[in-house]
Amino acid sequence: MASTGSRRAQPRDAGGVVRAGAANGRGGLPVPTRVFGLRRVTMGRYLFCYLMVAGPLLLFVLFRVIPIARTLELSVFNWDLISPTRPYVGLANFAALPQDSNFRLALTNTTVFAVVTVVSSVALGLAVAIPLARRLRLEGLYQLIYFVPFVTPTVPEAVVWKWIFDTRYGVLNYLLSLVGVGPVGWLTEPRVALWALVILSVWKGLGYNMVLFIVGLRAIPAEYTEAGQIDGATGWTHFRFLTLPLLMPTVLLVCVLSTISAYNVFTQVYVLASDIQGAPGSVVRVLIYDIFENAFRFYRMGYASAEASVLFAIVLLLTAVQLRVLQSRAEA
Amino acid sequence: MKRQHARWIVIVLIAGLLGLGGTAVPGGAAAAVNLSLWGGYPEIMPVYQRVVADYQHEHPEAKVTILITQLRDYERKLAASIPSDTAGDILEMASATMDRYIEAGLIPKAPPGIAQFVRSRSFGGAAQDHAAVGGDVYGVPWFMGVGAIFYNTAMFKAAGVSRPPQTMDELVADAKKLTTRDAQGRVTRSGISLRLFGGGSGVAEKFAILMWPFGGEILTQASPGKYKAGYDNAAGQATLAMHLDALYATPADSFDLKHDAEAFELAQTAMFERESWVVGDIAQHAPSLQYMTAPMPRAKRWGTIFNPVNLYVSRSAKNPDAAWDFVKFLMQPQYQRQLLADVGWLPQRQDVNYDPVFARIPQYRAFLIKDKTYVYWSMPEIRDFDEIETKLADRLVSAYRDRSLAGNAAAIARVLHDAAQETNTILKRDGLYGE
Repeated sequence: MASTGSRRAQPRDAGGVVRAGAANGRGGLPVPTRVFGLRRVTMGRYLFCYLMVAGPLLLFVLFRVIPIARTLELSVFNWDLISPTRPYVGLANFAALPQDSNFRLALTNTTVFAVVTVVSSVALGLAVAIPLARRLRLEGLYQLIYFVPFVTPTVPEAVVWKWIFDTRYGVLNYLLSLVGVGPVGWLTEPRVALWALVILSVWKGLGYNMVLFIVGLRAIPAEYTEAGQIDGATGWTHFRFLTLPLLMPTVLLVCVLSTISAYNVFTQVYVLASDIQGAPGSVVRVLIYDIFENAFRFYRMGYASAEASVLFAIVLLLTAVQLRVLQSRAEA
Repeated sequence: MKRQHARWIVIVLIAGLLGLGGTAVPGGAAAAVNLSLWGGYPEIMPVYQRVVADYQHEHPEAKVTILITQLRDYERKLAASIPSDTAGDILEMASATMDRYIEAGLIPKAPPGIAQFVRSRSFGGAAQDHAAVGGDVYGVPWFMGVGAIFYNTAMFKAAGVSRPPQTMDELVADAKKLTTRDAQGRVTRSGISLRLFGGGSGVAEKFAILMWPFGGEILTQASPGKYKAGYDNAAGQATLAMHLDALYATPADSFDLKHDAEAFELAQTAMFERESWVVGDIAQHAPSLQYMTAPMPRAKRWGTIFNPVNLYVSRSAKNPDAAWDFVKFLMQPQYQRQLLADVGWLPQRQDVNYDPVFARIPQYRAFLIKDKTYVYWSMPEIRDFDEIETKLADRLVSAYRDRSLAGNAAAIARVLHDAAQETNTILKRDGLYGE
């Protein structure tokens, strides 16, 4: 108690610095208490921050870093998931990828899908966000309508879209028939099925992009807008030279997230293009489906890991390029 | 002396009581035996529920849990759980799939009593062979997928077709007669529902079933353990040409229509090939449908596919004896008959009298043809087969979509030759290829 009372008696400044003079009754400059060369309070703050970061970091290492490392490791082995032996094959799995027509098709399909989906969902998300960011009437309702597809599980959504896309009984073909377009095999014709997948994916991701854009648009300081208006910037000019550059960090974020999501497309494909016994690979082959098929159907874990490693590299590279390009534009 | 005797009696009694107390389960009940059965065919659940109820009635100490998931998910679940010893105690699985686990030493052999039962006259030779690997019995034959032709009798009558097709030529001719079209010439009802897309390996399997009578097969055994593509020949070309003609030359089927059992139950097709489970499915979903079944048509040879599903006990089973006891219990005639009558899968047990079921549901007869020339054939049980079949299916789906192939014999031959090269490359990769 005595010591507590003694500490209470010591006057402190806001940073926890003990005023030496006050403590020893002689006055003078304050002498901070230090741990490892840092002020005690600063040290406490650091400790708190590191502790807070440690939990998520541990989970990230456990569920992201270690699986990625294990996948990279597996890619140089020939393992069937069952056998206790795993013969080392070096880079043979990677060397076989360019010769695999399924992999080439999956890579092409996924890239086409990603480009179209990212461009469409970013453009449409922004187009929807601009009016909604101005605080319209029933703004919350509109946001809800656009956001619901994002939070609804993909499987039931894909099942509903499967009916919409049905060649003979689907609503979409019925609407097209009203303008004289004949029945389209949305889910049975490989070339068309990819576009059906794009439609579903853009519809699903639109609400999420919209929310991010609304936040970004509302974060633009009003002074800039007012200054622009005073200078005569309105409509497209205002958007092109004022709003868009200031919104670039959000555009960058949305592009990166959409690209990662597009390259990881799987559930929609699996549900939408499955029929009879469910193997949509013959209709829309995308990278994740090809990886899934090689790993868990053909039991070629090493080969599938090599494919996954390539996918990882592609997404990493694209993200880096996007960061560099869009960040330099934002800075400019 | 008397006091000494009395002391000994007391000591013995106490020791006896302590001994009993040490072995008995609190409350005096026998130790509970937990068993789990995993399966991939949800339609069999009612049979399992009845068996479990009866078994638990006879064995109050037993608690049996049934877990059934869709087949493809189930296969993946086994791939993860068997090597990690977390699978169920009793596993229902096609022998073609389970053989890879057996070869890897992950599934134990059946005990001698069970092996003796499997080797008895209760099961046919093919069933016994598929339950064993290297001469040792690992599973108990449960049911089998056998193909036959389903045909709509009302549609046949209306089209003036008096009997189901006996030959492959009749199959094609009848399909054309049974097809209906609208004013624009689009097919509104298929004469035959072919497998044109969908299930990866399913497309190739259905192709193989129709190719087999012509003399082709997906893999031909070159020597023991060695195979090569068996469809890069006249049989394969005839079958692919048959599909393309049915789509483009004289359409008897269309991509735009529903297919398979669903189409048959909705009266959107007159005929298709499928396993016996469709009988049970029709009873449930289209009970008023007028239909009958027929054996597969013949060409150079006559027969149908046979896919056996067996019951195995996993390495991780805590009570393997109880698990095998449950499997044996399940093999009783009343459950075999229920499996056939209520579900539609054909039991592999052959010493059970199924006549009451056949009398009530005559559609089952076409699945069990007792003719020595009618061959029940099956696909090779090699680890690469699913990959080979799936990749062939991908090429077939593309070929069916290619209108330019119809009537072009050279292009058809090229498609099959390219596919066969891929098949042989996969076989070579894993040392399974033989000329």
